[in-house]
Amino acid sequence: MRRLLAGIAVGAVLVAASACGSSDGGGASDKNSSSGGTTEVKLGVIPIVDVAPVYLGQKKGFYKKHGLTLSMTAAQGGAAIVPGVVSGQFQFGFSNVTSLMIAQSNDVPVKAIANGVASTGVAGADFGAITVKKGSAIKSAKDLEGKKVAVNTLKNINETAVRESVRKAGGDPSEVKFVELAFDQMPAALDSGRIDAAMVVEPALATVKSQGATEIASSLVDVAPNLTVAMYFTSNQYAQQHPDVVKKFQEATAESLAYADAHPDEVRGIVTTYTTIPAAVLAKVTLPKWPAEPNRASIEALEKLGEQDGLFKSTPDLDKLLP
Amino acid sequence: MKPTSPRGGGSSGRAVNAALGAAGLAAFLALGEAVPRLGLVKEQFFPPTSRIARALGGEITDSAFWADLGDTLTGWALGLVIAVGAGVVAGVVVSVVPYLREATASTIEFLRPIPSVALIPLAVLLYGTELRSVLLLVVYASFWQVLVQVMYGVRDVDPVAEETARSYGLGTWARIRHVLWPTALPYVMTGVRLAAAVALILTVTAELVIGAPGLGARIAVAQTSQAVPELYALIVVTGLLGLLINVGARSVERYALAWHQSVRGEVTV
Repeated sequence: MRRLLAGIAVGAVLVAASACGSSDGGGASDKNSSSGGTTEVKLGVIPIVDVAPVYLGQKKGFYKKHGLTLSMTAAQGGAAIVPGVVSGQFQFGFSNVTSLMIAQSNDVPVKAIANGVASTGVAGADFGAITVKKGSAIKSAKDLEGKKVAVNTLKNINETAVRESVRKAGGDPSEVKFVELAFDQMPAALDSGRIDAAMVVEPALATVKSQGATEIASSLVDVAPNLTVAMYFTSNQYAQQHPDVVKKFQEATAESLAYADAHPDEVRGIVTTYTTIPAAVLAKVTLPKWPAEPNRASIEALEKLGEQDGLFKSTPDLDKLLP
Repeated sequence: MKPTSPRGGGSSGRAVNAALGAAGLAAFLALGEAVPRLGLVKEQFFPPTSRIARALGGEITDSAFWADLGDTLTGWALGLVIAVGAGVVAGVVVSVVPYLREATASTIEFLRPIPSVALIPLAVLLYGTELRSVLLLVVYASFWQVLVQVMYGVRDVDPVAEETARSYGLGTWARIRHVLWPTALPYVMTGVRLAAAVALILTVTAELVIGAPGLGARIAVAQTSQAVPELYALIVVTGLLGLLINVGARSVERYALAWHQSVRGEVTV
């Protein structure tokens, strides 16, 4: 018995050593494996509706046509994607534009290369909105002064957007009490009255609406018409070393975005392959817009507002950041 | 006089225990069904047991679920094996080499309370969303459980036995093997049992927060997808895993320590 256990202990150490050994070797080699003329690239995404075009493009063969095989890795938010891209775990990633500007102003070497997702541009029918509980006394964004408003991340795109909505409605955004809460927790928090309003996006927005909540402002539309909300990006290093791969990714993504934008039913179909959004909710989800190109004017507007709210250490250089 | 357990030994006692366990579980499940049905919490945010059970049924017919379960178990098992191996070796070396324990004690006490979860940014920076990120957190958390138990175990060695072994001329290795190891083994087993539970918690946490493939990532996807019953079904699965791991660790412990007073003395465990 004791001999057996000693054996197990020794075996465990050997396995541990070999596991460490193999993983040390694995890191460098799998960065750019190409087979049969196609380049395999890793794309870090968040498993939400916004990234449906790349899944659809992969399925439709748009990336293959341009000599790329995408492997999507679902990460929990930009906090895991940006370091992943900068350190070379992923070649490309998906991030909202404000985060990219914050990264650049902090000297993180990122470069946006392709459009990601845009607001619908239609007030009252966007994929994100400030919502209040059914029967709330809050009727407009101005009434949010002194109220508790939930955003998914403080000091980021949604807080900027809510502030702009309050400003546009004639209120003082510095009077609003912002609290940080994940989108998926907003419906319950709003329903129980722990927050007065929530800046919520799909699919949580569909849940909130099904509870009878009211939209009081389409904040992303308030920032700029047809706001570019998120983009695909890479590291400066990768962009310099592999301009050909970046170009292929840009072309294939533009094609995928255009296709997704024109085929909403296929989008709803592909979303079920990488999320578990219930069919009843998915049917009610307001899809975003997927223009093939980013809207520079809207990003400039977002930059100005971000600067006004003190998000950036230094002014982001959009000429360097954008494609 | 032989001590008798209040519930008695033998098969009748075991049956009573099993019946009590089943009754407790049934009451718990019934409560989970009743609370949302009575409107104490909203069904939408906390589905009743039957709805969770249906979602669980949907999960187990999905091959992606089994792939994720496999990923979680891989992360757990690898992390545990590495932590136990490293913990045992480090614990014995630190305890046996003169002055090493004194020299490392403050460092260990400094590192040990650092929550593994606090290392998530480091893990993401080093390894992205790969298995290695999960392993970093799992090994860090469970290593200390084993190390500390091994060190307690080694300290518990009977000085008389140690001196006897020395006077019989046993070498260092033989003394580790025949005196130290049998004394430390019950402690090691406790450490392994604690580490097994901690490793599961950290595996799921890492997947949940970082997004490395596995049950945790699946929970996160269900969360962002507003799929509340599926979310709870997956949480039930992690609970069941924890239960199985605990039962497994206890039987390994009983098997490994069959010769030991603590196991021999008991009629039922």
